[in-house]
Amino acid sequence: MTATHPEQPATGYPAHFEPPHGSTHRTFFGPGLVRGAWMALAGFAIGTLLVLTLRWWWGWDPLWNSEVILVVGAMVLAPIGFLAGIGSFDYWLHYIAGRPTEPEDHSGHGARTWKDYFRVNTDHKVIGVQYLVTTFVFFTIGGLAAMLFRAELAQPGLQFVDSQQYNGLVSVHATLMIFLFIIPAFAGLANFAVPLMLGAPDMAFPRLNALSFWLLPIAGIMFVASIFAPGGAFGAGWTGYAPLAEGQPMGQTFFNMGVQWAGASSILTALNFLVTIITMRAPGMTFWRMPLLVWANFTTSLLVVLATPFIAGSQFFVMFDRIMHTSFFVPEDGGYVLGYQHIFWFYSHPAVYIMMLPGFGIVSEVISTMSRKPIFGYRLMALSLLGILVLGFSVWAHHMFVAGMADWLRVPMMITTLLIAIPTGIKVFSWVATLWRGRIHLTTPMLFALGFVTMFVIGGLSGIYLGSVPIDIAASDTYFIVAHIHYVLFGGSVFTIYAGVYYWFPKMTGRMYSETLGKWHFWLTFLSFNATFFPMHYVGLRGMPRRVFDYEEAFGSMNLFISIASFVLGASFVIFVYNMITSWQRGPIAAANPWHARTLEWQVSSPPPIFNFDEIPQIVGGPYEYGVPGARHAILEPAKEAAAQDREEVHA
Amino acid sequence: MRKGIVQLVAIGLVIGVAVALVAVLFQWLPDSASEEFDRIQAIYWFATWMSVAIFAIVGAVVVYSVWKWRVPPDDDAEGPPIHGHTGLEIAWTAVPAILVIALGIVSAVVMSKNAEARGDALEVRAIGQQFAWKFRYPELGEFETGELVLPVDRQAHFTMEAVDVIHSFWVPNFGQKMDAVPGIETEIYVTPDEMGEYTVVCTELCGLGHATMRAKARVVTPAEFDEWIEEQRT
Repeated sequence: MTATHPEQPATGYPAHFEPPHGSTHRTFFGPGLVRGAWMALAGFAIGTLLVLTLRWWWGWDPLWNSEVILVVGAMVLAPIGFLAGIGSFDYWLHYIAGRPTEPEDHSGHGARTWKDYFRVNTDHKVIGVQYLVTTFVFFTIGGLAAMLFRAELAQPGLQFVDSQQYNGLVSVHATLMIFLFIIPAFAGLANFAVPLMLGAPDMAFPRLNALSFWLLPIAGIMFVASIFAPGGAFGAGWTGYAPLAEGQPMGQTFFNMGVQWAGASSILTALNFLVTIITMRAPGMTFWRMPLLVWANFTTSLLVVLATPFIAGSQFFVMFDRIMHTSFFVPEDGGYVLGYQHIFWFYSHPAVYIMMLPGFGIVSEVISTMSRKPIFGYRLMALSLLGILVLGFSVWAHHMFVAGMADWLRVPMMITTLLIAIPTGIKVFSWVATLWRGRIHLTTPMLFALGFVTMFVIGGLSGIYLGSVPIDIAASDTYFIVAHIHYVLFGGSVFTIYAGVYYWFPKMTGRMYSETLGKWHFWLTFLSFNATFFPMHYVGLRGMPRRVFDYEEAFGSMNLFISIASFVLGASFVIFVYNMITSWQRGPIAAANPWHARTLEWQVSSPPPIFNFDEIPQIVGGPYEYGVPGARHAILEPAKEAAAQDREEVHA
Repeated sequence: MRKGIVQLVAIGLVIGVAVALVAVLFQWLPDSASEEFDRIQAIYWFATWMSVAIFAIVGAVVVYSVWKWRVPPDDDAEGPPIHGHTGLEIAWTAVPAILVIALGIVSAVVMSKNAEARGDALEVRAIGQQFAWKFRYPELGEFETGELVLPVDRQAHFTMEAVDVIHSFWVPNFGQKMDAVPGIETEIYVTPDEMGEYTVVCTELCGLGHATMRAKARVVTPAEFDEWIEEQRT
């Protein structure tokens, strides 16, 4: 190929991969954002007409019901129109219609200009970056919401917002951070790294992968748009407990439906990971040779596939109660209020592990690589992930110790909850043991990994307090819980996301970030994070409930301190964004393997070739064989060497 | 190597003492005003000392390793190929298992003690409604109050109901908490053992006025309690 098109190899794209160039007709009717926009509008119009026609047919009054039109038009058919418009379904529709499809058409694969990130792209590396950029946008919005309510909380009483706005800000903050940041940011990192680590050219289902990504902004836009709904954003918390949620203004519907789109995105990605990991491993890549990031995403995907339908169900039930007058959770009509919490937490507790296990994987990669030592107890590390997976499904009711559920459930749920400390402890001790006698490179990803280990220990230990029923009875629904989840999800998950982004940044962009700025970012984040969240343990135990805009005077000075610290934490994020943007534009060119890592993604160029490997790698050993003379993880010809050999042969 | 172990233990002690001081010097828990909270505080300290020890161990190894084995960026050497250590791995599976099971047993015992009915319990009905608490004393009359008054050293048996959405009854100094749930009845026991004025707080998000849904609670002598009941009846 390269020999016949000597002008092309700079980009690595043979000429016939050139995406079609636009005429006006193409712009409007070819797949893309323009067609996405008008097809979304068309979807909305069709939905509205459908609702109006049916209501007219049955003679229902009033003819115009905004909430029903909102659900059918704006939240179902408009998104489907949008997805069809950008071209998510084109290949499948062609296939169904019997029109010729091109199985080897790679026009939607890879990115040469920034515009290629704004269309349906089937390259897992592009999708990984799409996920990460999108999720950091929503991270920013969720963070700004937190800044607003921290400003409100700096003093007791109401200053800036009213109480519905306050409840809305808290709920939108949590929802964005969980569904639009932590879960999909991990999906983004894994999307980029997992196929490379497996020695695969892409995910098993690249078109499904593209669809999974584009479902995500739909959910995000719904959550954010709820702020502008009449009556304000959904204000029943991210937990959306019935019956409070059922009496909420229209904003609640945005939550009920947004969760469906985010959930669909998660489930499709998880299925894709499972099939990819099971079927697309390079020859010789047995399960016991897979890097721990792959193990982590394997277990996470199992959790997602099994658990996510439960939250989807719980939100559908609430929405049906709200607009279809069913009575799943309406006690006067025989509904069972606690049923909501059981279904909700049957997803949302495993969701905590969905938000944590991929981070365990990232940290295992970073700590082993930056210590230049094999991960301590590799098999037990993988098995402990599976242990958490199994136990994770048997602890949901520990969120309900004070909910009034059946008494006999408390002790078994307490025991399983406390038992989770064992596999988690194994992981923490093994990371720490990996450091022992290593050659420790204190780079930014390593700082975040070590910050994670220490902060996660605090989050895990406060989790043990909460696992004990009597302490939980005293501490639940207070700021102690807020402190605990932020130590787990910020000190835990977010630190690992930062570690992962810094770690793979050179691989993703082909450029190096600034270490100096990275270290500033770490230390500022680490200190202000602790200053923000550690005092919350105190105010919580002392008597401040969570989700309140007003509190007793006695907590005033502590809350002012927390608010100031939280603004510093917000400011530290600016350093990160600046570092990422400027380094991506003009950072120094990164080497293929700046960290001396052993896993496969580092054995190809930075950024990797369009189909990852020019030839299929042969896996011959474990992924972290540092210090073992002559040990190799894989045998492969680096792309450059292969190209150089080609040229030599041509010249010869 | 011996010097190294001394240094490691020293770091661990410094971290452990620092964390222990944080645990002791601040008054993390509100003063207990009930027998139930006395028992809960005992487990709290069990968990706290366990946590201090674990944090000190992890912190010490992290700090020590980074201090001892940090290398400059251009270092190309690799660490020793230590793949694991069966004895250590068994130890750090077994020791936490013993600790958490011990905590679980203690917790289960306290839990059942805190839910044990005594013969002479005072029946109190707590009713959660957006956005106020109402209390009834069904054995003592038909009245309803916005203030919770309890006689000292006598067990109170709370049954709860919610009129509209879920609320949660909590008096920080009593250490006991329970949701009031529409459609079902829930219960807790509180045995106040310190007289004084406390606050009833709603801890389950219940809507716009959630933050201000508080009520006064007073623990008084039995004589004062009887007097107060008389006042309420008239």
